[in-house]
Amino acid sequence: VPCISSGLPKPTNITFLSINMKNILQWNPPEGLHGAEITYTVQYFIYGQKKWLNKSECRNISRTYCDLSVETSDYEHQYYAKVKAIWGMNCSKWAETGRFYPFLETQIGPPEVALTTDEKSISIVLTAPEKWKKNPEESSISMQQIYSNLKYNVSIYNTKSNRMWSQCVTNHTLVLSWLEPDTVYCVLVESLVPGPPRLARPSEKQCVSTLKDQTSELKVK
Amino acid sequence: GQEFQFGPCRVEGIVLQELWEAFWDMKDVVQAQDNITNVRLLRKEVLQNVSEAESCYLIHSLLKFYLNTIFKNYREKAVKFRILRSFSTLANNFVVIMSKLQPSQENEMFPISENARRRFLLFQREFKQLDREVALTKAFGEMDILLTWMETFYQ
Repeated sequence: VPCISSGLPKPTNITFLSINMKNILQWNPPEGLHGAEITYTVQYFIYGQKKWLNKSECRNISRTYCDLSVETSDYEHQYYAKVKAIWGMNCSKWAETGRFYPFLETQIGPPEVALTTDEKSISIVLTAPEKWKKNPEESSISMQQIYSNLKYNVSIYNTKSNRMWSQCVTNHTLVLSWLEPDTVYCVLVESLVPGPPRLARPSEKQCVSTLKDQTSELKVK
Repeated sequence: GQEFQFGPCRVEGIVLQELWEAFWDMKDVVQAQDNITNVRLLRKEVLQNVSEAESCYLIHSLLKFYLNTIFKNYREKAVKFRILRSFSTLANNFVVIMSKLQPSQENEMFPISENARRRFLLFQREFKQLDREVALTKAFGEMDILLTWMETFYQ
């Protein structure tokens, strides 16, 4: 039964949260209706096409997010989405997003970071993040395949000297040389793509220790 | 530094990141003015699978149109929406790129230039079917699509 578009306030702050092409529409409940049993209905639109489309799994839902990854998976297209609040027989007007361009707006997740140490060096191997996929069985697509100009900003922190430095690399292996033996170094890596400003999503900080200096060990003996 | 390579046409001295930042500063304001969301001027057919050889002809036609038609007539709006700085950054960079593009006029290039022309006419025809002001606003708001395509020739 269609609801009556009344003075019910609209949902607020409707935006796409997009990471590696997983595109979640999210919003805040309408203001001033705490405690009311509000439900929501979502529609989406492909820029340049003709009509708004329903997302059946997001009809009369009580949560304040909706996964539109499948519907917005052609990342060369641009999209709009909208949501309205429903309370009993009454519903709000639609609250609409701006134009969403996944190719330019998705946040690029951090790479996988593997560290191996030596006395005076640390080898870093980076694996590009994977694009979101509908089913785990689907073959994986690396974000590198989508963004050929994907780079990494590697930050290194010497916990003994408190010194920190960064390097921007394009390939997937990096050897940090001339380090101090028997010292803990922490590494943090962020994926970068030239183009519009994007929110960064750095990797977890990983700390490893360089090995003890074998030559000084022998002298001691 | 990096440069554009539109097939045989090379363009140095442009920092594409500056164009992106300029557009991104005004994206929400400009695109919010475009209510005709069922029309996209720079459709996939215009920019998809453009060969290297075609690219110089196509970028030349597009930038010429953007400068002579869109930027020329959008300036008042840019002042009104307070996006003149972004507007000028993009316009000035497009002028520089245009000045450095010399698409070859030799006869054997005719089939290639004709392909590029056909793509451009797809865009221009769509533009002309809209109300003038609506078309200007829409074309200006689609510069993210244009810059995304241009980025593929930036090395």
